[in-house]
Amino acid sequence: MKRWPIVRALVRKDLTLFFRNRFFAYITLLGLVFYIIIYFVMPKAVDETLALGVYSAALPEAVHAILDAEAVTYQIYESDAALRAAILDGDAPAGLVFPPDLMAQLRAGQKPRVDVYLAASTPPEMRDVYVAVVKGMALALGGQPLNIEAHEITLGPDMAGQQIAPRDRMRPLLAVIIIVMETMGLATLIAEEVQGGTLRALLITPMDVRDLFVGKGIMGVGMTFIQAVLVMGVTGGLRQSPVLMLVALFLGALMATSIGFLMASVSRDMMSSIGWGIVAMVILSIPAFGVLFPGTVTAWGKALPSYYLIDTIHRVANFAAGWGDVWPNLLILAAINGFLLWLGVAVLRRKFS
Amino acid sequence: MTQQAAIIAENLTYTYGALTAVDHINFTVAEGEILGFLGPNGAGKTTTVKMLTGQLTPKDGRAQLLGLDITQHTQAIQAQIGVCFETTNLYEQMTAIENLTLFAELFGVKGFDAGALLARVGLDGRGKDHVATYSKGMKQRLMVARALVNRPRILFLDEPTEGLDPVSAEAIRALILEEQQRGVTVFLTTHDMLEADRLCRRVAFINQGKIVALDTPHNLKQRYGQRRLRAQVTAANGDLETREIVLDAPDTPRAVEALFSREQVVTVHSEEASLEDIFIQITGRGLV
Repeated sequence: MKRWPIVRALVRKDLTLFFRNRFFAYITLLGLVFYIIIYFVMPKAVDETLALGVYSAALPEAVHAILDAEAVTYQIYESDAALRAAILDGDAPAGLVFPPDLMAQLRAGQKPRVDVYLAASTPPEMRDVYVAVVKGMALALGGQPLNIEAHEITLGPDMAGQQIAPRDRMRPLLAVIIIVMETMGLATLIAEEVQGGTLRALLITPMDVRDLFVGKGIMGVGMTFIQAVLVMGVTGGLRQSPVLMLVALFLGALMATSIGFLMASVSRDMMSSIGWGIVAMVILSIPAFGVLFPGTVTAWGKALPSYYLIDTIHRVANFAAGWGDVWPNLLILAAINGFLLWLGVAVLRRKFS
Repeated sequence: MTQQAAIIAENLTYTYGALTAVDHINFTVAEGEILGFLGPNGAGKTTTVKMLTGQLTPKDGRAQLLGLDITQHTQAIQAQIGVCFETTNLYEQMTAIENLTLFAELFGVKGFDAGALLARVGLDGRGKDHVATYSKGMKQRLMVARALVNRPRILFLDEPTEGLDPVSAEAIRALILEEQQRGVTVFLTTHDMLEADRLCRRVAFINQGKIVALDTPHNLKQRYGQRRLRAQVTAANGDLETREIVLDAPDTPRAVEALFSREQVVTVHSEEASLEDIFIQITGRGLV
């Protein structure tokens, strides 16, 4: 008997059941809209200017001149209290308070006190930058600028002035969320098929268990791939090397299907599938947070299968990486998928029998 | 002319760990025959059906359906059988038509008419409703309809009328007889002895995994049952009393003569043993 009509009937049945499950139907459609909205709501550029608030009862012209010369945007406040309030309200990230007799103290050889106000959210590396700015100003005001010439040499792609926008760093996370949502849907379909006994009815037809896996595989890969391509397309993720990105997304969809099979083997119904799905989402999202917040995920992130998908999406979409740059990622991802798929099919076969 | 066997079970055995669910059972079912497979819960009925339909591989023995070994030609046999399970297992979020069409596609049935099949089971007009909205009786009728999608040569019905209202149960019984008229072999698993008595040419009693009796209901009653004459008579004080006379006994004629000559008989009924009485007599246990 020809297998394709059987597989086609199974896929059609699964699509019908998927979209008649209100939870998954809504979460799929609303999710797509939501992910795209999140992307466009996120900042599309990185603000690289150093902003400051400044107060002094009598700000010397020399300080004005130095601040104007630095790559700093600053705003003069009328009082110390106004500057503090601006920082607390988030209007200014940091503030400098100069004593009114700054120049007199410098001329007398004293060490004038300059208060550096910092917002609680200022990251440690930026705190040091603000203090360094003050020290540099002090040297210039004292007529003793550092007698060196700093020459910048950027190793690797120079991102100065073209930092990756937060929205673009978000893309890999969106891809992982889509993938995990589909694993939940697929796992629910399979678990309910076993629990409801409909699988028994299917297995007493000319359908083979292989047809069942092929059908579920087409459904899982298809649903995930289409959604991921849609979101990547709308958010501009396919502009760089579209074929390479499509291959990466296809491998990601295959990973979703494999993990869906594994989750189905330990799930009894929709609630348990969602429970396992949340665990999978947390684990698989970790490398994506490493992209969002560089430095937070170290080498151990490479132990997670999603790392190779996320890294590929990030590098292709944001750094114009090509096949030569990411082929090891794709190869590792394909190998992991092969293993996960084999494992998922094996454990599900046991459950079916 | 000898009728060909549709089902042959030889030493069919299945064990779940240390528990022997089906213990070397032997039987044949002729083409076009309805065989009742009777026994209490846990006797091994469903396990037998699972082996005969290729859901379980026998641990010992073999089963042939339509001349083919079920373990070697599972798919070829499954294409020619219909199975109605003991528990409802329909796609509840799909309509009845969608359920039937799915299985028609899996069986490769050309020109399938879901409406006509639904009409046969009394569900015409409800085909586009989601199965979740159906009553238990309607779901059971749909289960039977699904088992008929591929016009099977052998029909396995596992407790098809259990828990149903009389109308639904009667509709399903009528359908079983229709299929038998069409030449379909029916393997009917039930613990409803009246149903078995009415529908089946032969019945097999299974108890603790073994077939303890296999014959026509008439022969079983002849062999194991006692025919009785039950009469109501008016006693001397005017009350109604019951008298019972065992038929087929040496002194039956004399007892009957005495009843009518000495008593004032009001009503007389003949009674024969039910299959349930016989089952209890053979196994020492009831059917539930």
